[in-house]
Amino acid sequence: MQRIDRQPAWVLHERPYRETSVLLEVLTRDHGRVGLVARGVRSAKPRFARGTVKPLQALELSWLGRGELGNLAGADPVGVPVPLAGDGLLCALYLNELLARLLARNDPHPDVFARYASVLYELAAAGDALGQAWALRRFERDLLAGLGYALPLDEDEQGQVLEPAAQYAIDPERGALRWSGRGPAPLLVSGAALRALADDAAPAPEVLRELKRALRALLRHHLGGRDLAAWSMRPPASGSIND
Amino acid sequence: MSASSPLLLELIEALRCLPGVGAKSAQRMAFHLLERDREGARRLAGRLVDAVERIGHCRRCRTFSETEMCATCAGSGRDATLLCVVETPVDQLAVEQATGYRGLYFVLLGRLSPLDGLGPAELGLDQLAQRLREGEVRELIIATNPTVEGEATAHYLAQLARAANVRASRIAHGVPIGGELEFVDRGTLAHAFGSRQSV
Repeated sequence: MQRIDRQPAWVLHERPYRETSVLLEVLTRDHGRVGLVARGVRSAKPRFARGTVKPLQALELSWLGRGELGNLAGADPVGVPVPLAGDGLLCALYLNELLARLLARNDPHPDVFARYASVLYELAAAGDALGQAWALRRFERDLLAGLGYALPLDEDEQGQVLEPAAQYAIDPERGALRWSGRGPAPLLVSGAALRALADDAAPAPEVLRELKRALRALLRHHLGGRDLAAWSMRPPASGSIND
Repeated sequence: MSASSPLLLELIEALRCLPGVGAKSAQRMAFHLLERDREGARRLAGRLVDAVERIGHCRRCRTFSETEMCATCAGSGRDATLLCVVETPVDQLAVEQATGYRGLYFVLLGRLSPLDGLGPAELGLDQLAQRLREGEVRELIIATNPTVEGEATAHYLAQLARAANVRASRIAHGVPIGGELEFVDRGTLAHAFGSRQSV
């Protein structure tokens, strides 16, 4: 049995388990995605404050590891919860689903961990749907790079510099293929859109939509061809995550 | 344990589906029913079958109901201009018992939770949107839980109400009555502080 002490972590998901316990899906800095059981948190006298072990709160967790599921032994909040509201919350649910589905258990990615914390604060600070969408796209870029699936952002498959006006098809294995205009049109993205992502320069709304489609297709590929449930959660009066 | 009665073992195993009932409690229950209260056991078995067969969901508010429309929705004594949205039938009962609320309910039977496969369709939000568009509802009272998923759901519901031109309100959350600030968790206290009211 292995004891892990005060490991920086974020809760991605919680679900009730047995009478008084909760199953947690947690993203940690040095152990990657981990499943933990928090025993007795839903009882009258919980061992950890119920409001502490929850998503969008930076935590330091201690647990006893044994097989698939660890046993939560201690939980301390670090600072206050990320002040997300409205569409920002829906964006955060999307990120949590993405990480829970894409990251393998016990496979640490400290850079992805750090980037997750920063994107939450970027979402909280974003003034509008465009700001949120841009924060999500940049996170997706860094997540893919962190997992070794980096997007081709400066050169095409032939080693040619990406041209802003040219159209490219993204192939998950081969990179950016310049589109000749012949045959059935695959999902295309402009060189300008890819370069905006490379330069970290917020692009125009229509370019942002292009990037979203391209990144979603790539994520779908890495998710084994399946869609995320969050992709179909579109609030009627806004469209930050789905436009 | 007695291999002489496979039925007894099956009964003990079946009782373990109840919340909070482990192997030991299930064994005690089974022996109690067989030794001391066979009549009670018969009644329990009958009611269980009836309940499982006959209790469905109200067509209008999705709460548990034996009839197509539950008594609350079908009754004439409630204020149909108020609609309170809760996550579960138990939450509905809690509001009903604590508040003296006289409006109607809509029960989501969950909350938006992508990782549990619960989206707008699973929560009956098309049905709710349709009802808001019908025009009878004047205020949508959003009483989902103050969890991350409950808040995301509340936001989604507020957007639905806005699209239908219905006023939306959110139940307040903060320091429990009789509580002490020292023992309130940070998130709750931050929220209570942020949404303070003038007195």
